[in-house]
Amino acid sequence: MRRIRVTVASLVATSLLVLAGCSAESSGSAADAGKPVSGGSLTWAVETEPITFNPHLYAQAKARLLVWNSFEALLTHDDKGGYLPWLATGYEVSADGKTYTFTLRTGVTFSDGTTFDAAAVKANVDQLRADGYAPAVAAVQLKNLATVEAKDASTVVFHLTEPDVLILDFLSSPQGAQVSPASLKAAKNLKAGGPELAGTGPFILDSYTPGQQVHFKKNPAYDWAPANAGHTGPAYLDEITYRFLKESSVRVGALTSGQVQVIEGVPATDESLISASPNLSLQRGLNSGSAYSYYFNTAHAPFDDVRVRQAFREALDVPAVLDGVYRTTATRAWSVIGPTSPFYDKTLEGTYSGDAATANTLLDAAGWATKDPEGFRTKDGKRLTVRLVQSAPFVRDRRDVLAQAIQAAVKQSAGIDLQVQLVDQGTATKALADGEYEVFDNSRADTDAGAALNLLLYSTGAINRTGVKNPDLDKLLDDAVATTDVAKRTATYRALQKLVITDQALVFPLYAPQDQIAAAKTVGGVGFEPTAGVPGSAYRLWLSK
Amino acid sequence: MTIALIRPVAARLTWRVPRPGVTAAALFLLVALTSAVWPSLFAGDPLAADPLHVLEGPSGQHWFGTDQLGRDVFGRVVHGARHSLTIGVSAIVIAVGAGILLGLIAGLSHRIADEALSRSFDALSAFPLVLLALLFIAIAGTGTTSLIVAIGVALVPHFARVVRAQTFVVRRAAYVTHAVAFGAGRARLVVRHVLPNVLGPIPVLAVIGLGEAILLAAGLSFLGMGPQPPSPEWGAMISEGRGYLHIAWWTSILPGAVVTATIISLTVAGRFLQRRFEGRDLA
Repeated sequence: MRRIRVTVASLVATSLLVLAGCSAESSGSAADAGKPVSGGSLTWAVETEPITFNPHLYAQAKARLLVWNSFEALLTHDDKGGYLPWLATGYEVSADGKTYTFTLRTGVTFSDGTTFDAAAVKANVDQLRADGYAPAVAAVQLKNLATVEAKDASTVVFHLTEPDVLILDFLSSPQGAQVSPASLKAAKNLKAGGPELAGTGPFILDSYTPGQQVHFKKNPAYDWAPANAGHTGPAYLDEITYRFLKESSVRVGALTSGQVQVIEGVPATDESLISASPNLSLQRGLNSGSAYSYYFNTAHAPFDDVRVRQAFREALDVPAVLDGVYRTTATRAWSVIGPTSPFYDKTLEGTYSGDAATANTLLDAAGWATKDPEGFRTKDGKRLTVRLVQSAPFVRDRRDVLAQAIQAAVKQSAGIDLQVQLVDQGTATKALADGEYEVFDNSRADTDAGAALNLLLYSTGAINRTGVKNPDLDKLLDDAVATTDVAKRTATYRALQKLVITDQALVFPLYAPQDQIAAAKTVGGVGFEPTAGVPGSAYRLWLSK
Repeated sequence: MTIALIRPVAARLTWRVPRPGVTAAALFLLVALTSAVWPSLFAGDPLAADPLHVLEGPSGQHWFGTDQLGRDVFGRVVHGARHSLTIGVSAIVIAVGAGILLGLIAGLSHRIADEALSRSFDALSAFPLVLLALLFIAIAGTGTTSLIVAIGVALVPHFARVVRAQTFVVRRAAYVTHAVAFGAGRARLVVRHVLPNVLGPIPVLAVIGLGEAILLAAGLSFLGMGPQPPSPEWGAMISEGRGYLHIAWWTSILPGAVVTATIISLTVAGRFLQRRFEGRDLA
């Protein structure tokens, strides 16, 4: 049996590196807030109100910063995409890649007083596989999982049907977070989560006011931070309140007027307000996972024709639109995989998009050769209309404004009628289920881009909105997770990117999502989660007196 | 007011030169009306975006500056007149039509039916207009048609109550009792004698109500209940621009100023007509 053993001791060096070089640019420094001090109450204004507080059902990258306050996973990431022990002290992989044995940390308790042990890990997986609870997780992340065995109190074994390295990514993701089995059983409103669900994290979610705020208080018993968390023992802050302020101007106003100490989601147009103040600092971090992209629905016309898909990509001058909406702060994406991922294929850059003449030639060739009085292309009397349905809880970074900019651009350059609908989640879910859309927009902040691709491109993927059912594609996705060899995985994912971006034009990557944090300089420890690149949890934050 | 209105119609229709405020209001309304009917006279495509010139301030080329997508704000305001005025006028037509009908029924019918109708007008009037319209939209869904109906329904009691009160006065007027004495039928009585004489205050109320309807429409569009982007509706423009208010005030403030000017003009014009019709123009 080949053994890959990860221990706390061997990782201290790595974690020091993590602390030294967070993958973010910063215009302020932690030195302003002085040495860490305990105590105090912080208010943080966030853009997105989570649709659930149950980590198993986590679906919004913008909600990730809340998850790790009260819940923890078996593993966490270093800043290079590797794994660090958290609730597990280490793991072994069998030579055939089908058995993962985790040794668990002892002395860990959930905030409801119950003990964290192997039985709890098994109970969490059982819950995830319960009928109708988390079908997407069960069908994708756990598709290769056969059984989970609690060998003894501190040893848990995952038996797989096929080798699948993504099981580690899953066990370090919010969906793999450990929830007290007792609270899972007792919760009346399990799918919404909230104060009823107990975790092992440094904070305890004690109240939630829908539409307004969520409040966490310190977990005084906490003493099991991962090696890259910056400190040990309980959190510095006594309590933290996250206020949901959807409007960026309101968030920035709340920060500059001192009503809140930290905000996330700072639009490029508002950055000058932050940098103009000597008491505020601004940081930006690129997210991991998949780039923000438009996915073309190939199930029906007009995007069942590859020429129309290519034409849409050619019709848009991406840099012009990004500069218009985000000034110069956005990073253009060229692949469905984000540019921070080791699997990103740099050779795709500059190979397509931005050529209106080609777009018009392609559309003429595809039969959309006539135009109606409003300037839109038609074919057999039918207008070239494509619908983008945006679900309001998932709209961030002014993606609705970006959609309008794209709408105007593709109309002007190629006569494409892009209709943008901003609707509530229920309406969006129904439109997607009924196939009443031609364009689907999405980005995922998965720490391993492979996890995002399995959801988006696999023929049975939970958010396979392109409708692609390609055995070659499925095989590439399977092969890429069957080995831990990064070089082999990279080669496989490159072949996949060529297939979906160059050959099939299934995806139109637009920009690499980033997060921005602006904070008063009295707040210390502000930063991003390693690898994920999203704002970190409140564990490292402190307020100088 | 009611006493003045029973005077013969002819006496109210003499012409005098209006004051400057009234002239300005009339001119503004004329321009707004022309914009609604023939927007291309003043401005080009309201949807043409120019990502290289976003959020630029007012200039000779773009009188009201450009918005977050580089669209000409002035052009959008001009084209928006059609949306806003159409919504306002259609809503008023619904409100006036239904108001006259229900007011007449209440004023002429049996006491119990009148009580029922009048109390329901009172109940509707007890709610703030916006709340009533929101309630309707929550049931019927968003969109221009639903917005028009919502505002129309919300404004019905305004007109119905006035018509009902007028009907009570008119049905006791000497010419009505005389007509009854001469043996006029019920339908003829209502159409020939009652209806023309209860309508006196309605045109004036409708003009003032139009301002209210446009404001309400802009407010509801601001909340995202009206025409969806990229339609250049005034309220929606103010809403889209508010995220940029601190760096590009013109995207919200100038459309807002046009809404304000429209409503002030309508009110000035309405008050002017009111004075004329009531013969109280003592200036």
